[in-house]
Amino acid sequence: MSSIKKKITHLYWRAGFGISLEKLNQKSELPFDVTIQQLLKDAKKPDLLDFPLPVYEMASKEGITKAERASLRKKLQRENRDVNSSWVRKMVHSDNPLLERMTLFWHGHFALVSRNNSFVSKSYINTLRSHALGNFGDLVLAIARDPGMIRFLNNQQNKKGQPNENFARELLELFTIGIGHYSEQDIKEAARAFTGWRTNKKGAFDFSERHHDFGVKSFFGQKGNFDGTDIIRIILEKKQTSIFIVSKVYQYFVNEKINKEHVQRLAEVFYQSNYNIEKLMRTIFESEWFYAEKNMGTKIKSPIDLLVGMMKTLQLNLENQKSFLFIQKILGQTLLNPPNVAGWPGGKAWIDNATLVFRLNLAGYFFKTVNVNVTAKPEFEDKADKKMKAKLPATMNLSPILAYFAQFEEDLIFTNLRDWLLQSNLPIEKSEMDAFTKHQTKDDYVKSLLLRLMTLPEYQVC
Amino acid sequence: MKRRDFLRNTGLASTSLFVPQFLSGFNRNGFHRNGKNLVIIQWSGGNDGLNTVVPFQNDIYYRNRPTLAIPKKKVLKLTDEIGFNPMLGGLNNLYDEGLLTVINNVGYPNPVRSHFRSMDIWHTASNSDQYWQTGWLGRYLDQNKSGDLPHTALEIDDALVLALKGQHKTGFAASNPAKLKRAANNPFLQKIAHHHQHDHEENVEYLYKTLINTQSSANYLSEQTKGSKTKARYPNTQIGKDLATISNLIARDTNTKIYYIDMGGFDTHASQKNRQERLLKQYDEAIKIFVKDLQKNQQLDDTLIMTFSEFGRRVKENNSRGTDHGTANNVFFIGGKLKNPGIFNEAPNLSKLDQGDLIYTVDFRKIYASVLKNWLGVNPGDILLDTYQPLDIV
Repeated sequence: MSSIKKKITHLYWRAGFGISLEKLNQKSELPFDVTIQQLLKDAKKPDLLDFPLPVYEMASKEGITKAERASLRKKLQRENRDVNSSWVRKMVHSDNPLLERMTLFWHGHFALVSRNNSFVSKSYINTLRSHALGNFGDLVLAIARDPGMIRFLNNQQNKKGQPNENFARELLELFTIGIGHYSEQDIKEAARAFTGWRTNKKGAFDFSERHHDFGVKSFFGQKGNFDGTDIIRIILEKKQTSIFIVSKVYQYFVNEKINKEHVQRLAEVFYQSNYNIEKLMRTIFESEWFYAEKNMGTKIKSPIDLLVGMMKTLQLNLENQKSFLFIQKILGQTLLNPPNVAGWPGGKAWIDNATLVFRLNLAGYFFKTVNVNVTAKPEFEDKADKKMKAKLPATMNLSPILAYFAQFEEDLIFTNLRDWLLQSNLPIEKSEMDAFTKHQTKDDYVKSLLLRLMTLPEYQVC
Repeated sequence: MKRRDFLRNTGLASTSLFVPQFLSGFNRNGFHRNGKNLVIIQWSGGNDGLNTVVPFQNDIYYRNRPTLAIPKKKVLKLTDEIGFNPMLGGLNNLYDEGLLTVINNVGYPNPVRSHFRSMDIWHTASNSDQYWQTGWLGRYLDQNKSGDLPHTALEIDDALVLALKGQHKTGFAASNPAKLKRAANNPFLQKIAHHHQHDHEENVEYLYKTLINTQSSANYLSEQTKGSKTKARYPNTQIGKDLATISNLIARDTNTKIYYIDMGGFDTHASQKNRQERLLKQYDEAIKIFVKDLQKNQQLDDTLIMTFSEFGRRVKENNSRGTDHGTANNVFFIGGKLKNPGIFNEAPNLSKLDQGDLIYTVDFRKIYASVLKNWLGVNPGDILLDTYQPLDIV
């Protein structure tokens, strides 16, 4: 593949969820820098998850019976699942891939579990989306005031005289500066500063003077009548915070293995720009080393990467709402339900014998050449020991791909499809794949090759 | 490691991967059994321990559970204080035969009442304010003391619990080895796994390695579970089928050392009685047959069965004839070589509660330490990452 196409697909996999064939060809006619600038520019457009929450509105009404409330709770859970699938659909259909990618990254960083409250889920997703490429300090502050996070990390219970340290601890350990760079006393003082940061019944942020500790706190060697905003400001004054965040960004976007020199330089940029996230991402995408061979095709796709990428490539429509959740559950990444506040460990941790076999068969399920024969574990709350089954009915629209290749010979179809779909080198020749592809018509060949390429272990990395 | 080296090192380089020599090769080279099996049964959802091991002399119990308490005359009495739920007749016999240990009041400091977090804590053996990414049995596998085979630890399921995930090694999940074999061994996957032995980038290499391991283990396990199966008549329930699979594998002397079953449905916030008793009955009937089967195959002395749940339930029943999430709970051990069969420690103290919940007296990590040290023969500190005094269980 031409080197510019290779760079574009790499950029689009890391900054988004892959690129359509049509777009790849368009972009390859433009100077590469224009592509980068466009990607960053698009991500600046405000683009919130716009999802109606009729059931939530009903549930907040007073004066309904107990039975009505119980049935509402079920509907709320269903509505919450709809928030999940509409988020996945947004990742698939958005023409703003970097914003989608950054939002998913921040979801893993400021990990929140929201399993049955559609309002909390939606407002949390939109908190992330509003600041995904903005200022990191603003993002941390918005998270500290986010109704879902306040409840998830027990800041609702954090009151003057009876501090709850949960939020303060995670703020330091996971969200900003990292373990080993603060004392237990710092956590205690920070917790005091966040007392009274609550959420009201309508789910809005609410500062309660009654519960706030207005006394003097001493934090990171400074003394004052600090509140939460001050604590975040003081944490960001520490260069270590920029190093911690940049390391995580680097491992997610560039390579699991840290290059200290690159991280050092990026942290400097991030700190000097007063934690401007867009500036940080721009610097990464404009760096030559981002496109080095050793940084390409080395990242194991997360389940969401895999699903969204496949849905985009095949213009796939999952007909059954349940399929979204089933695939996420089986593969070990359910949006709004990370294992805990530390997010998903990622990398090789995605892979075990069961998840790998499902991943390799996923394209086969959609092409209906393989039957789904696995079940997902039941939820803890499920009444019986019943495992979740699904068939994954789906339709796809391959006509743009088929039209594009109509005039190509098989050899060219092979190299083009391979280079478009696989970010890792494939040591298998066309001739060796021929026994597994169909050759009656060109369409048959393209379809069967698509399926085979998406079944390869090489398709699992980007 | 390059894939070529990996193939050489594990003796998989042969193209005739699935022929019988290979299978016998597994036994010859791969793994030396010390003959000990560990079977773990996880009750997901939080089993109500107080209606499982019932404090039938305790007025507080009866006062707090006006509709749910089990009448004294129905309790299967173990001591003059506590006895089993009437559904646990099989367990009652095991108790009489000295094949069962009940440990009361098991938990951990600062208990968490969320299923997910509490189960994570049980899986990883962390403190309640720590977030660990590896499971205790996964870290045991990491140590590599019992060989390198992917199915050293086997969960009878289509997905793997965190307990079995290590840093470098993971357990193996197969609800049905033959089914997994079909999914992992379509001709195309066989071809790509074995035809090419090029050098790959590290993560792609890891995927190929996992694929090859999955194919060979699925083949091996399905081969081992085929043919002359156990004659014992297991109940036609999920737990019955799962234990039958395990019994077949143990009887065939496979290389699997740790077996894991995840049994769900214990989250009984409403109408608890029927649901819990149905589950306990399923468990009891299946375990009863399983233990007899092991005895017949002379494997009971080499097998240890542990049953646990992520937490117990609130002492006081709620308004829906159910119970809400609680804290400390009982843990069962079954086996032929128990050091202290019977009731291991004091019954729950219902007059001293924390926010309506039992206060733990045995840290579950002491139980893990005992299993690791005295059953699996490894140093518990290396795996639990802290020092816990093993208990005198096995």
